Amino acid sequence: MTKKFKKNFGVLIIGFLILSFIYNHNLFRKLYNIFVINYESRLTEKYGYCFRESVGFLRMLKKKYKFNFNPLIVNYEDAVPSSGWSIYDNHNKTDNSHKILLNYPKNLSFYFKPLNKIFYSEDTVRHSNGISNIIFDLKDKYIRIDSKIKIYRKTLNKKDIIYEENFHKLVENNQIVPIEFKTKKINSVYKPTFIEISDLSEDQIGKINSIILNLNHEFDLKNFTIIEKFNNCYYVK
Amino acid sequence: MTEIINILIQILFILFIFSFPITLLENNTKSKISAFSLIDKLSINLIFLINILFFASILNINSEYALYLYVISIIFLYFLNFRKFNFKSIKIDYYLLVLLFFTILISIDIAHELYFAWDVQWHWYLKTLSFFQDQKLDNLKNFALAEYPHLGTYIWSFFWKFPLNSFEYLGRITYAFIYVLSIFSITECLKAHVHEKIIFAVLLISLTYSYEIFSGSQDVLLFSLILITAKFAYYFFEKKLVPNRLQLILILLGAANIICWVKNEGTFYALFLLFCFFITNNLILKNKIALIIGSLIIVSLRIFIYNSYNIELNPSVFEFEKSLNFEFLLILEKIKIITFYLIIYLTQNPICLLTIPVLIYITFKYPLKNITKFVLYFLILNFSFIYLTYLFMHSETELLARFSMKRVIFQTSGFYFLAIIILINNYGHLFNIKLLSKYKIKKY
Repeated sequence: MTKKFKKNFGVLIIGFLILSFIYNHNLFRKLYNIFVINYESRLTEKYGYCFRESVGFLRMLKKKYKFNFNPLIVNYEDAVPSSGWSIYDNHNKTDNSHKILLNYPKNLSFYFKPLNKIFYSEDTVRHSNGISNIIFDLKDKYIRIDSKIKIYRKTLNKKDIIYEENFHKLVENNQIVPIEFKTKKINSVYKPTFIEISDLSEDQIGKINSIILNLNHEFDLKNFTIIEKFNNCYYVK
Repeated sequence: MTEIINILIQILFILFIFSFPITLLENNTKSKISAFSLIDKLSINLIFLINILFFASILNINSEYALYLYVISIIFLYFLNFRKFNFKSIKIDYYLLVLLFFTILISIDIAHELYFAWDVQWHWYLKTLSFFQDQKLDNLKNFALAEYPHLGTYIWSFFWKFPLNSFEYLGRITYAFIYVLSIFSITECLKAHVHEKIIFAVLLISLTYSYEIFSGSQDVLLFSLILITAKFAYYFFEKKLVPNRLQLILILLGAANIICWVKNEGTFYALFLLFCFFITNNLILKNKIALIIGSLIIVSLRIFIYNSYNIELNPSVFEFEKSLNFEFLLILEKIKIITFYLIIYLTQNPICLLTIPVLIYITFKYPLKNITKFVLYFLILNFSFIYLTYLFMHSETELLARFSMKRVIFQTSGFYFLAIIILINNYGHLFNIKLLSKYKIKKY
C-alpha cells in the first residue's frame, strides 16, 4: 500500500510540475494559436508589418516583386539590426540600386539637454551622413556665442570628437544655424552624445534650455523613385 | 494542424536519427556499450552524428549526401547485426517518454514565438540560411563575424532541411531535443528513484527554460553539450559505473570537439573541462596519452581549418594593443565593471544561485573528493576566463558586459548542477533526507 502510494505520489508530483510548466508558459493558448493563425501571419505579428523589423512589409515585397536580387535594406529603427535576413537569398546577387527603407523618419535629429556645463543627448541615429544645422532653444531672445563647439562621445572617459569648430555668432531663439558638416561618425546607437561649448559662462549656459542638432539623411527620398510605400516603409530605386 | 503534424514528424525524425548506430551495436555481447542507459546511448549517437556533420561541413560535403551516408551505414549495421538484434528487447522507457513530451512542449513554444535574438538576426540566421541553401563554408565570409564557429548553425540548417524542408523553426527543435536530453542525462547521475530523477529534471527545465534561449543563439547548445560532457565525466568519478575508460575518453573528446565548434568561448570551456578532468582523475598512462593527443588534435584541427579558410579573429573585437597597454587605472575600472555585472547576472541565474553556494558548502564542510575538485577547478577557470575575456575585449567593457555576460554565465551554469548531485549522492544521508523511495542503481 505504502509502496503504491509513494509511486503514485511521485507520478502526481511529476504531473503537477508538467501542468505548471504548461500553465506558466501559456502553452495551451500557444497551441491553439498555431492551429488558427498561419506561419506568415504569426511571423508578421512578431516582427511587425511596418514597424520594428518590418518583416511583413519585406516578405510582401519579395512575394509581389519576385526579387531575383538582394536589395539593400535600411532599417531606421534603432533597437533592431538590419532586417535583410528575412528575405535574403544566397543564390541571388546584391543589388544596392534597389533599396528598401524601413521606418523612415522625416527628420534625423539629436535633442540635447543641459547637464552641468555641457549638453547631453541619448538619441541615436544610424543612417546619417553629417550635420545639417543646429538650433538653440533659449530663455532669452538672443545669446552671443564666441566659443568653440565640440560634439563628442565618450569611451571610458576618453573623448571621441565628432565635430570641433569655432562658433562666433549672435544666435536668435530657435534660429536654424546651418553647419553642413559631412561625417559618418555621428552615427551611433550605443553611446550618448555630448555638446561642449567652451568659454561660455555658467550664466550663459543657464540661458540655453536645449539644443537640437539636425542631421542629413544618408538616403534622401528626393533622390529616388518610390516603387512601393506603406506608412513610412518604402521600396525605392 | 499541418504545423503540429510537422513538429511531431520532426521530433520523431530527430529521435530516429539519434537512436543509431549505437543501439545496433549493443547486442554484441563483447561490447561495453550495452552498459550505458538509453539516454546515454542517445547522447553518444548525438555526439557521433554531430561530429559527422562537422566533418561534412568542413569538407563541403552536401548535407544530403551526409544524411544518405549515415542512413546507409545504419542499414548496413542493422543487417550486420540482423540475427543478434531483437526488436522485442526494445523497451518503452518512462524517462524517454517524459523527455519527448517536454521536447514537444518546447517545440510548441518555439513554433509560436518564432522571433530571433538580436545577434541571430545579425549573423547566426544568415549562416544557417547559407548552409540551408547548400552554400559552402567559404560563403560565411559574406556575413558578419565570419570568424565565429559554424557548427550550431549547420545543425540548425540540417534539421531544417530534413526531413520536411519546411519551416525554419523545425531546425531549432533539435536544440530543444538536445537541451531536454542533456538535462535528463545529468539527472540520471542522481542515486534516486526514477520518479525523483524526473522531478529533478522537470525542476531543472523549469529553472532554466525561457523562449529566449531558443531564439536561435548558440548558448543553449553550449549549455547542453557541457551538461552531456559533465555526465560522462561523472562516470569516471563513480568507479562502479565505469565500463570502459578509453571509450568514455573518446566520447568526451567527441563532445569537446563539438563544443569547440559551436562558439569561440566553447574552445576554452572544452579545454577547461578536459584539463580539470585530467588533473582530478587517476588515469592510467594509456588513457592520459589518449586524452592529451585527443585534445591536441582538437586544437590543431581548429587552427588548421581557420588557416586553410583564411579566417582571422576580428581585430575590432580584440583590440590587443589597447588591451595590453597595462594602464593600471583602466584595468581597475574594467575589473570593477566586470565584477559588478558578474554579481548582478550570477544572482539572476537561478542555477548559479542554487549550485554555487552548495559547491562552496561541500568544499568547506566535507573532505574534498575528486569530483568536487573537478567542479571547483572548472569554476575557478571559468571565472578567470570571464575576467580575462572582458579585460581583453575592446574598450566598451560595460556595454559588452551588460549585453553578453548573462548569456556567458548561462552557458556553463548547468555544469554546476554536479554540485547538487555530489551533495545528494554523497552527503544526502547525513541530512536524513528520505526521498520518495530507496534508489536502485540502474545498469550503466
